[in-house]
Amino acid sequence: MVSRWMYISLVILYGFLLGPFIIIFMASFGANATMAFPPQGFTLDWFANVFETSQFIDSFWISLQLALLSTIVSLIMGMPVAYALVRFRFAGSGLVETVFSAPILVPGLVIGFAMLNFFVLLGDTHVMTGLFIGHSAILFPYSVRVISASLRNLDPYVEDAAVSLGANRLRGFMLVVLPNMQAGIAAAFVLGFITSFNNVPVSLFLSGPGVTTLPVSMLSYLEYYFDPTIAALSTLLVIFTVVLVQAAERALGLSQFV
Amino acid sequence: MPYLEISDLTVSYEKNKPTLERFSLDVEQGELVSLLGPSGCGKTTTLRSIAGFIQPDAGQIVINGRDYTYLAPNKRDIGLVFQSYALFPHLTVFHNVAFGLRMRRIPKKEAHSRVAKALKMVGLEAFADRRPAQLSGGQQQRVALARATVIEPQVLLLDEPLSNLDARLRVDMRQEIRRLQQQLGITTLYVTHDQVEAMSISDRVVVMNQGEIEQVGAPETIFAAPETAFVADFMGFDNHFSAAVLSVQDSKLRVNWGGAPIELPWRSKLGSPQAGARAEIFFRADDARLAAGTEANGLAGRVILHTFHGNERRYLVDTDVGEFSVMQDSANERFQPGAAVMLQPHSQKWIAIIE
Repeated sequence: MVSRWMYISLVILYGFLLGPFIIIFMASFGANATMAFPPQGFTLDWFANVFETSQFIDSFWISLQLALLSTIVSLIMGMPVAYALVRFRFAGSGLVETVFSAPILVPGLVIGFAMLNFFVLLGDTHVMTGLFIGHSAILFPYSVRVISASLRNLDPYVEDAAVSLGANRLRGFMLVVLPNMQAGIAAAFVLGFITSFNNVPVSLFLSGPGVTTLPVSMLSYLEYYFDPTIAALSTLLVIFTVVLVQAAERALGLSQFV
Repeated sequence: MPYLEISDLTVSYEKNKPTLERFSLDVEQGELVSLLGPSGCGKTTTLRSIAGFIQPDAGQIVINGRDYTYLAPNKRDIGLVFQSYALFPHLTVFHNVAFGLRMRRIPKKEAHSRVAKALKMVGLEAFADRRPAQLSGGQQQRVALARATVIEPQVLLLDEPLSNLDARLRVDMRQEIRRLQQQLGITTLYVTHDQVEAMSISDRVVVMNQGEIEQVGAPETIFAAPETAFVADFMGFDNHFSAAVLSVQDSKLRVNWGGAPIELPWRSKLGSPQAGARAEIFFRADDARLAAGTEANGLAGRVILHTFHGNERRYLVDTDVGEFSVMQDSANERFQPGAAVMLQPHSQKWIAIIE
């Protein structure tokens, strides 16, 4: 009985998870000028339209640059913090941990709005700079959390062992700790990249004239048009994400850590 | 001159509350000395000071004539084995063992043959290409031993190396550690809280309590003749009572036992005791005998509890002096709870401690 109910709820769950995507996927090939399901006819025009719409191409490159840059920066900042939080108990380390997870808990719209005000107060902040700072900030806690998790699996005494065998502290860290953080760093990278690439609420506030991220430009496109171009673009994005995660999985074996 | 010389080592994590207080110990070349004591007694602190991970507040550590006290830990020539093994998870067994040689820039060819030799010594030559996670606990500990000894350190330090192993494996591994240590002739400090382990493996045992040395001596001496109440208690003297000293004669003193004087050896850090002094008397459950009835010599008592242990039975006996635990051969007469018995001492094995 239990296993039958589990089976049924699993089917329902996957139905809700995958159903909308399957509809979008099929609709992206439909020949009608508005999105329809089931689609009628078959065309690749909407895919062509994606690549002809400069708004999408520009914002794709912005999103890509933004995701790469802010993920790398959040990793560089997150690594030492994760290391300190896992290895040392210091006065206020509990507080630090809570503060660093705040951006996960605070609604994205609030962060976006707060940052917009902040940058307005600062004055002449470049839109790209603002987006970059905003995204780095929301990714930072993810970096700290994922890298901490991978560090917690490592025996703290391996560093002492390396030092007792003749490595100095830095060398011990590079030769023993860093290689064991690799999978955690890679996981944080993929998670961070996708989080940034998909982010709407923060980008919505921080985007500016001519500088828009892909999800935001998709939203504004939807305000005026209801043709299947968006469906085609969504399909492309899903493929892009799946390829990215698969590549990372192949190269680094993430599944053993995440 | 001793090979390893620790003098007046003092370490305090908190102000005015030393973890280790004026700890002094000399270890000869090739000797295996155990630091034995309950958790928090300072034994691991001593070890970590020698390894250089703790800066002592005062005192000196000299190894083979070289002052180690403030030397950086990676500049010391010390092999360290951890309770958790602390193997490098991303490296194979071979590269774990080779790590110290790599740090010392030993040429590849020589390093290769030294690692092979070390792995052979611990019986793991067939496992060189495995990762630590693919090995059992005992095998991991062997890798840790090979890794620490392949660099031919001046001193080998072992921090509770067997605590993560199960009981049977522990006995095998401690024999293996002793064999390896003697084969290499390596000066070794061994930290443990297990008195059986310390006695079976060591040339000398240092019993520690609250950051100070209680007693240093051969395992046999510590086992038979503890110098302090703490050591007696820690070394498994189950029974204890206080008595007034009747008289003292060289190495023996007399106290009253059930109306008659008994003679037993004494230990004191304060010199020869006087008649009338208070002595703390300790004896093991094995070192007394029960006689039935009330007629025989000894201290009168009543059996209150009886437990069966295979070859032996343990009786809890209530007397005017206190409750005592006594082991008897289970082939002997069995006493029921409530039975009247006389408690007779093997008093040459008892010990009187004057503190």
